Amino acid sequence: MLSRTAGCIYWMSRHMERAENIARVLDVSSQMALMPGGLAREQIMAPLDITGMREAFVASGVKATADEILLFFALNPNNPTSIYSCLRQARENGHVVRGKITAEMWETLNATWLEISGMTREKLKRMGFSRFLEWVKERSHLFRGATFGTLQRNDAFHFSRLGTFLERSDNTARILLVKAPAFSPSEERDTAAVDYYQWASLLRSLSAFETYRDIYRDSIVPVQVAEMLLLRDDLPRSLHACMNEITQTLESIQGNSGKEAKLLAAKVHARLHYAQIEEVIEEGLQKYLQDFISDTHEIGARIQRAYLESV
Amino acid sequence: MILTINHETVYRYNTAVTHSTQYLRLTPQSGEGQQVLEWKLELPSPAMLAEDSFGNILHVLTLDMPHSEIRIRATGIVETDAGERMSFGGGDPRPYLRSTRLTTMSPAMIEFANRFRQFPMTLEALDGLAHAVLAYLVFEPGITQVDSTAAEAFAQARGVCQDHTHVFLACCRHLDVPARYVSGYVYSPGHVQDHLATHAWAEVWLEDRWWNFDVVNRCRAGSSHLKLAVGMDYMDACPVRGVRRGGGSELMNAEVRVMQEQSGMTTDDVDFLIQQQKQQQQ
Amino acid sequence: MSAKARFYDEMFAAPGHIRPGYKAFSDWLHRRPEEELAQKRAEADWLFRRVGITFAVYGDKEGSERLIPFDTIPRIIPAAEWEMVSRGLKQRALALNLFLHDIYHEQHILNAGVIPAEQVLTNQDYQLAMQGLTLPNKVYSHIAGIDLVRDHAGEYFVLEDNLRTPSGVSYMLENRKMMMRLFPELFAAHAVAPVEHYPDLLLETLRDAAPAGVHDPVVVVLTPGRYNSAYFEHAFLAQQMGVELVEGPDLFVKDGFVSLRTTAGPQRVDVIYRRIDDAYLDPLAFNADSVLGVPGLLSVYRAGRVSITNAVGTGVADDKSIYPYVPDMIRFYLTEEPILNNVPTWQLRKPDECEHVLANLSELVVKEVHGSGGYGMLVGPAASKVEIAAYRERILANPSEFIAQPTLALSTCPTFVEAGIAPRHIDLRPFVLSGREVRMVPGGLTRVALKDGSLVVNSSQGGGTKDTWVLESALPASGGHA
Repeated sequence: MLSRTAGCIYWMSRHMERAENIARVLDVSSQMALMPGGLAREQIMAPLDITGMREAFVASGVKATADEILLFFALNPNNPTSIYSCLRQARENGHVVRGKITAEMWETLNATWLEISGMTREKLKRMGFSRFLEWVKERSHLFRGATFGTLQRNDAFHFSRLGTFLERSDNTARILLVKAPAFSPSEERDTAAVDYYQWASLLRSLSAFETYRDIYRDSIVPVQVAEMLLLRDDLPRSLHACMNEITQTLESIQGNSGKEAKLLAAKVHARLHYAQIEEVIEEGLQKYLQDFISDTHEIGARIQRAYLESV
Repeated sequence: MILTINHETVYRYNTAVTHSTQYLRLTPQSGEGQQVLEWKLELPSPAMLAEDSFGNILHVLTLDMPHSEIRIRATGIVETDAGERMSFGGGDPRPYLRSTRLTTMSPAMIEFANRFRQFPMTLEALDGLAHAVLAYLVFEPGITQVDSTAAEAFAQARGVCQDHTHVFLACCRHLDVPARYVSGYVYSPGHVQDHLATHAWAEVWLEDRWWNFDVVNRCRAGSSHLKLAVGMDYMDACPVRGVRRGGGSELMNAEVRVMQEQSGMTTDDVDFLIQQQKQQQQ
Repeated sequence: MSAKARFYDEMFAAPGHIRPGYKAFSDWLHRRPEEELAQKRAEADWLFRRVGITFAVYGDKEGSERLIPFDTIPRIIPAAEWEMVSRGLKQRALALNLFLHDIYHEQHILNAGVIPAEQVLTNQDYQLAMQGLTLPNKVYSHIAGIDLVRDHAGEYFVLEDNLRTPSGVSYMLENRKMMMRLFPELFAAHAVAPVEHYPDLLLETLRDAAPAGVHDPVVVVLTPGRYNSAYFEHAFLAQQMGVELVEGPDLFVKDGFVSLRTTAGPQRVDVIYRRIDDAYLDPLAFNADSVLGVPGLLSVYRAGRVSITNAVGTGVADDKSIYPYVPDMIRFYLTEEPILNNVPTWQLRKPDECEHVLANLSELVVKEVHGSGGYGMLVGPAASKVEIAAYRERILANPSEFIAQPTLALSTCPTFVEAGIAPRHIDLRPFVLSGREVRMVPGGLTRVALKDGSLVVNSSQGGGTKDTWVLESALPASGGHA
C-alpha cells in the first residue's frame, strides 16, 4: 500500500492507544491524590514524568495541583500528549485515509473527536474525572473493536495493529519505569496500606488486578507484578504479549522492506520470551525497562524508514 | 579562443536532506560559434540525460539517501569562434513573444520601452534599448534576489545581469520582438588572472535569426561567450534548479575557474593546474 | 405546467402535448400521490448526504461541505437523437486531438492559414514542452467533457470543450445509482441505456495510453488532496477502477522513471490520470511553488517513459479564443461537415466584431477568454446598466480577452421546485473517452439551473444535476410496466 497511507493508519492507531494509556495513567494518579501522606504528591506528578512533560508543565506557570495536572493531560491542546491532542491526531490521520478504513472505524474516530472537542473544563468537572477517563477507555475499546471486527486482514489492518502494540508496549514500559524503584526487594516501604493501594491502583489501571489474583492467588508481591507485566504473554497488556503481536504482524506485512525492523523486534521478543524474572530483577529492572524503551523506539524508527517514509 | 573550464557548485545544508531532485543545465552544445572538445559532469550519483523543452542538454539528478551536501562539478574544454554569435532555425520563434511571471511589463516599463518602438524593428533600435536598460538599471549585486521579477528590478533601478536580461527581454516582447534568456559563461582576461563567470544575456529574433545581446557588457555576444542553455526566462535556463525535502537552511557556493589558450590539455591536466594554483594561493 | 414558446422543452412539444420519450414517465408521475413524491425527494436527499458527495464552493463562508442539489425528474433523450449527438461528439473529439497533434508537430493547419498562427503559438497554454513529442495513439485529450445546449428549435450546439480536467462524471454515476434505488419501477418501464460501466471504459482508455512496450500498465489517479472541491470524484474513480489514489509526495522520479512509494518498496508507474493543472505538475519545470506535483516528472514524460492523461498542453485547444475554429478543424482534418455546430461566437479581438458586441451588450453573453466556471462573465439581459457600463470598460481595456455569444435559449426540463414542478434550463456534459478508439457512455451529466429563469447551471453557483436517460429502444409500450 502507499507508504503515506500506511503511515496515517499506523499513527491513527498509535494516537488512539496513547489516549487510552494516558487515561490509565491519570486513573492511577487521580486515585493516589486521595491518599494521605507525602507519597501522594509524587504520584500526582507521575504522569508528567512518564510522558516527559514536566518541564513544559512547569514552564506553563500553572500551579501543580492534582486538578490542574489532570486538566493538563485531559484537555490542553498545547500539550501534545494530552488526551485531547491524541484524539485530534487520531481523527486527523483517519480523515486522510478515510477511503481505506471502514465506515465504522471512521465514525468512531469522528464521534469521539466531536465529543471531546466540545468539552470544557466545567463540563469535565461536572462529568467527573473518573467518568471522563472511563469514557476515553470505552472509545478506545470501541475503535479497536471496530478495527478488529470490520477491517479486512490486509496491510491496513497490520499497520493499525503495529501502531497499537508499539504504543502500548512503550507506554506500559514507561508506567513501570516510574514504579521501578519499588520493585527492588531492598527498598524500605512506608506503610503497608499505602503500599497495597499503590500496587492495586497500578494493576487496576492496567486492567490486571483480577488477573493477578487469578494467576498468583496471593497478596500483591512486587516481583510477581513485574513478572506478570513483563513476561506473561497471556496478559494482553504485558510487554511480552505486545512483542508477540509486533513480531507476528511484521511477518504478515507484504514485501521485504522491513528486515531491519524484524531483526530487532525478534531480538527484543526473545529477551522477553526466554527471560526469568529473577534474572531481570538481578540485572536491575530500571535498566531493563530503559533498554526496552529505547529498543522499541528504534523498532519504530526502523518501521518508519522501511515502510512509512513517504519522503 | 580555447577555454578550459572548471565550474564547481556546492550546496550545504545544516540538517540532512532526505530527498532532492535537480534539473542541471551545465552542459554546453557544439554549434553556433562554439565547439565542445571535452566536457565532463561529476555528480554525487548517476543522472538521467535528456533534452529539455528548449533543446538544452538536461541532467536529472535524484538523491534519495539522506545527504547534507550536494557537490556538482563541470569541467571541459571549449573552442569559441571569432565574430558575433547568432543562431538559425530551432522552430517558430513566436512562442517567445509571451510574457512570464518574471518578465511581465509594469506601466513604467511600458512607457520606457515604447520609446524604442518602430516598424520594422532594427538592430540599431534594439541596441538602443539594450544601452538604455543598462543605463537605467545600475549594476549592483545584493539588491535583487534570484526570484526577483523584471518589474521589481526596474522599480529599484538596480540589479545584476539576470535582471538586466529579464528587463530587456520583457521590453523586446512588448515591442513584438521574440526574445529569450541565455544562460552561459563569459570570459574576461585579467592582469593577474583570467576570469570566467556564469552570465546571462538575451537572444532576440529579427528577420531570420537569433541575435545575441549582452546587456550588461554593452555588446553583442562573441568569442568570449559560451552558451549553456536558453529559455523563456531564468527559471527555464538556470544552471541548477532543485526541490528538496528537509535540509534546514541552504548555503550555496559556486566557483568558476578558467584558463585560456592552452591547447592540447585534457581535463586531468586542468585538475593538476588548479591544484597548483590552489597551493600557490596559500 | 406549460412550456414557454421561446424555449425548447424536453418534455412538452406544446402545452399539453408530451413528447413520445416522456409519455411513460408522465403517466407514472400522474399516478403518484403528492406525499409519495415528497417522501422520495426526502429519501434522495438523505441518500445523497450519506454518500457524502460535496462540492466546496470558492469563497463560500458557510462551510466547505454543501450538497449539490439532485433533481429526481430525469432528462430523457430518445435513442435516435443520441445516436446523432454521439456521432457528432466523436467527430469533434477526433478533430481536436488531430489539431493538438498537428500544432505540436508539422503545424499544417497553421501553415494553411485556417487558424492565425499567432493565436496558437503565442497562447499562454501552448506548451513548448510538447513540441515534437509523439504520444501513444496520438491522443492528447483522453477524457473530454464537451458541453452541449439546445436552442429554441431543439438543435444541439456545442457550448464549450473541456479538454484538461473535466469533472462531474461521479455525479452522473451516483445519480443513476440513486434513481435506480428510488424508482425501480421506472427502470422496469423504460429501457434506459446503462452508464455504470464508465469506470471500465475509463480504465481501458487509460491503459490504452500507456507508453509503448508496457504490457500491464500501472495506472494511478493523481489528486491535489482532500481539500480540493472535486476530491470525492478523484477518490471515487480510483476506487471504481481499482487503482491507487496518489498525491504528489507519493511519487518520485529516479533513473528516468516515475515510481510510487509503497510499503513494499518503489513501484514503477506507467500512466498518471492527473486531476491537477499543467502548471502544478512539475515544480522544476513549471510553477516552482507547487507541492502538488512531482519534481522531474516532465523529463520522464518527454522521454516517453510515463503517460499523463490528459496530456500536457491541451489547454490551447479548449481556449475560448480557439473555440470558434473547431468546425474548421473538422473540415480540415476529416473533410467532413460538423455534425454538431458551435454556438455563434464573436471574437472581440477582431475590431468589427468588437464594435458589434459593444453596441449590443444588453442582449449578449460576454465571457473572458481565460475564465472558467461561469465566473467573470456578463449576461446582458440579466445585467444592470451599471454592470454593463463596468464591463464595457473592461472590454475596452483589453478586447482580445473576450468573446461574446447570443443569449442562448437553453432548453428546459421539468424540475421539482417549491411550488411543485416547473421548467428549468439545462445543459448536458457527455464524457468522451479517446484511447485506441473513441468511446462514451450514453448520456452524461445534465446540469440544471435551479433558479427560475436562470441560465447558470454551474454547481458552484447554485445549479443542480439530473439523471440523464438515453432510451435504448423507441417508444416503451404505453401503460407503463413492461
